[in-house]
Amino acid sequence: MKVVGITTQQEVFVGSKERNFRINEFLIIEDPYQGSLLGEVVEAKTFNRYIPLNIYGDFVDSSVLESLKALGYNIDEDTIYIAKIRLLNEALYPIQTGSDVRLPQFLEVKDLMIKSRVDEGLVLGIIKNTDDLAKDMDDEFKDLLHTFEEGDLLEQRDIPYILDIKSMHHYPHIGVFGGSGSGKSFGLRVILEELMRLNIPTIVLDPHFEMDFSQPASYLDDEAIDFKNRFKCLQVGTHVGVKFEDLTAQDLKNLLSAASNLTDSMSNVVDILFKPKDSYYSFYNRMQMLTEAQEEGSLDRIENRINNAADPEERRAWMERKELFISYDKTCPYNSVRGIIWRLRRLENDGVFSKDIREIEDGLQNGKLIVIQGNTRILQVFSTYLLNNLYHKRREYKDALYKKTEADYFPPFIIVTDEAHNFAPKAYESPSKSIIKEISQEGRKYGVFLILATQRPTLLDETITAQLNTKLIFRTVRASDIQTIQEETDLTMEECRRLPYLRTGDVFISSADMGRTIFARIRAALTTSPHTLNPFDELKSKFKEDDEDFLKLIMDKLPINDIELAQLALEIEQEAKITYTVNQLEEKLNKLVEKKHIKKEETIFGFRYNI
Amino acid sequence: MYNINDKLKEKVEDLNQALRVKYRDIFELDKGQLRDFINKHIGQIKKMDKLDRAQLSLYQSKGGIVGVDGSVNKVGGAYPHFIEIYQAMAKCTNRREDPVVLADIYSPLYIEEEEMEEDDDLFQNKRDVKLATLEVEAAIESVKRHKPYAILMDGGLIRYNIDAHDSWLELRGLCEERGTIIVGVIKDIKTSIIGDMIRELDGKINSTIYDREILFGLLDYGEMVLVKDEANKKGPQGYASVFLRSSLAPTVIGMDIIDSQRDKLEEMAQLVFTLTPENSRGVPLWLDIVDKEVLISDELIRSLLEQYMDRGLYERFFISERDKRN
Repeated sequence: MKVVGITTQQEVFVGSKERNFRINEFLIIEDPYQGSLLGEVVEAKTFNRYIPLNIYGDFVDSSVLESLKALGYNIDEDTIYIAKIRLLNEALYPIQTGSDVRLPQFLEVKDLMIKSRVDEGLVLGIIKNTDDLAKDMDDEFKDLLHTFEEGDLLEQRDIPYILDIKSMHHYPHIGVFGGSGSGKSFGLRVILEELMRLNIPTIVLDPHFEMDFSQPASYLDDEAIDFKNRFKCLQVGTHVGVKFEDLTAQDLKNLLSAASNLTDSMSNVVDILFKPKDSYYSFYNRMQMLTEAQEEGSLDRIENRINNAADPEERRAWMERKELFISYDKTCPYNSVRGIIWRLRRLENDGVFSKDIREIEDGLQNGKLIVIQGNTRILQVFSTYLLNNLYHKRREYKDALYKKTEADYFPPFIIVTDEAHNFAPKAYESPSKSIIKEISQEGRKYGVFLILATQRPTLLDETITAQLNTKLIFRTVRASDIQTIQEETDLTMEECRRLPYLRTGDVFISSADMGRTIFARIRAALTTSPHTLNPFDELKSKFKEDDEDFLKLIMDKLPINDIELAQLALEIEQEAKITYTVNQLEEKLNKLVEKKHIKKEETIFGFRYNI
Repeated sequence: MYNINDKLKEKVEDLNQALRVKYRDIFELDKGQLRDFINKHIGQIKKMDKLDRAQLSLYQSKGGIVGVDGSVNKVGGAYPHFIEIYQAMAKCTNRREDPVVLADIYSPLYIEEEEMEEDDDLFQNKRDVKLATLEVEAAIESVKRHKPYAILMDGGLIRYNIDAHDSWLELRGLCEERGTIIVGVIKDIKTSIIGDMIRELDGKINSTIYDREILFGLLDYGEMVLVKDEANKKGPQGYASVFLRSSLAPTVIGMDIIDSQRDKLEEMAQLVFTLTPENSRGVPLWLDIVDKEVLISDELIRSLLEQYMDRGLYERFFISERDKRN
């Protein structure tokens, strides 16, 4: 391998007759004047001056090449390999043309490739095309993981990519971008597994109900770590919810607006009617009674109600309504109060107010990964409250430490969410956005970090995107997203051009602490998502099951004449307690015929079904 | 710019007409008749088979096939202010890394004592001699070093006989002694064997008609004509020739071989046929590859001269007005 052609201080071309180059591999240039310089292959090409089989315009057919091979001349051996190499650090002078180039030893690149110890960082995968360097790698970094290549599980042969979690203190927040099917969710799963391995308190917002880690991956037999005690799936409304008594008026407004946007008048209603320490029912009743009074229309008519009350109970109730009417009718318009009631009921129906977040806090205190599940809308509502609550607990603790006052310990934690553009959208305001934005800007100080995954980085709030110091970029096809990625990361033009063609699980990792982009492959996950059954397989197996059940029912009744179907329906009803109409039976039988389980014969008495 | 002089147009039309008149008799000859004539008087038209893998492997084990070719680059202007650079290469299919490469240089300004050139004709001759000698010497070195089964020379053997007589005799002797087959592959045949024969027997034609004109499109893909000795009597003695159509292009190439190896001619024709791509100009790929490797680009030559000559000398002698035009 030698440096060829015109060189600069940043880039050189290297040619070789024997060795093909791979993109992103590292090479050392032995410049006679400047010593060893480390560079990375950014473009790899091969060239054969006899192929594309074109010499003086002739088209060479393969039989002639075969003949030449038989004569001892293999034209492939005339191939020249050319790589464009970018130096990691700019040289003082342009590189000497003709300088030797060699593969580096592991030690020469260790500091560039590995920033963290295995037990202190997230082992996310391998750095691609480093198998040559990995041969003399320290044992500590060997056999950490498996990768999937073309459906086969492979042993680790390359240098592992270990994300230095400690560096998040300086370079907080991680973005995970990639289209559907690019390996993004898979990568997120691996990140979460690693967070669990290190017992880092984590909150996961999971709108897809997929972040369950109890199922070990089928392809790993023995070495699977059991994550069962390291994570907890909690569903909003079933396991966790908002404790109404803890809410401030602002919290409540956030929640209500997540159900549906509030008008100024409505938010005014909440400010006026909501009293600290209100329970759901006291608040709800107050509004309910006010509207009932307002429906009466005037004080006179309420008086009337009081005077004509059937019993003292009713009388007292109307007296109460009268009080409310006098205090609030002027400031709380009827329609706005109705609007709040409607929103409150909606949240209540979702079960939001039936539980509290005690279990989440306990989990975090114990270094667990807490998966919050619910549909996107509920999660938006709940996360607004939850993140505010947790973030401020942590913040109070840190502030108290600083002010040297007493406060309950609350651990630092990481917030992870898929479909982040739903929680922090670019175009419009949403309640969860303001807390995520706050954390993205200030979270670093308090040890609260974000890992935001989305397939539409373009739709994610820009202030937040700008705060994502580490970015994992999977295959992306949409031009507008590639554009955003190009603006927001240090990916080069060449790398952006490769984005639509990345294989599933291949990822560019652009991180501030590495100072450059690394091309990596995510490792095989240790657990599997509960949604891995293909819906079409599911349909197929369901149909098959149905057919088999039905076949069992009728098997010993064959042959069946089509005039006996009514009788058959009766028998089946008696034996199996399943009721079929004659038409249903006929359809089912015909389906079995279609699938060649049974045959349909024509007889003088009509059709007959037989084996 | 785009107006072509009418005179010129007329001249071209005249040429076309003249050619048509001159060759009328040939064009009018029926293809079948012409083939019959060739079969009878020149040599039998035969179908060639491509050699199979086993045969080729045998050649490989017997030393492989060497291709020999030369190149000339000229730098400078008119006589005597120029340099010519000659390079010849003999490359063996078996020994890719180790081709024989010989080079020579010639400038009228730098003449050894005894030879003095005055005019261009003599110079042309000088160039042919230099190049032919270099090629033959490369072939000799290759026979000694590569010990090949056969050598394909780029161009007819007769040319070497004329231009590089002494070296050629040495090469010939060496090949005969070692049993190395040596053939010349002639891309542009310049003989007139068939035309002469027609003229002799028929009398209808009285001008020289060349073989390439007659054979154009006459042979089918994969056919050859082994020229009988009595037909070939006009050429210098000691060589046997064959015409063959080795590709789908209608042109025909020729090959010659030394007398003592004439029984190998058919086999060599098959080898050339095997090594020629179907859709090509009819030249065996191996010779094309050697040709491409021996060729030096003019830029490379110029930078060679610029680097190794004093700038002043180079400029004074070898930069022509034409070189400075752009």
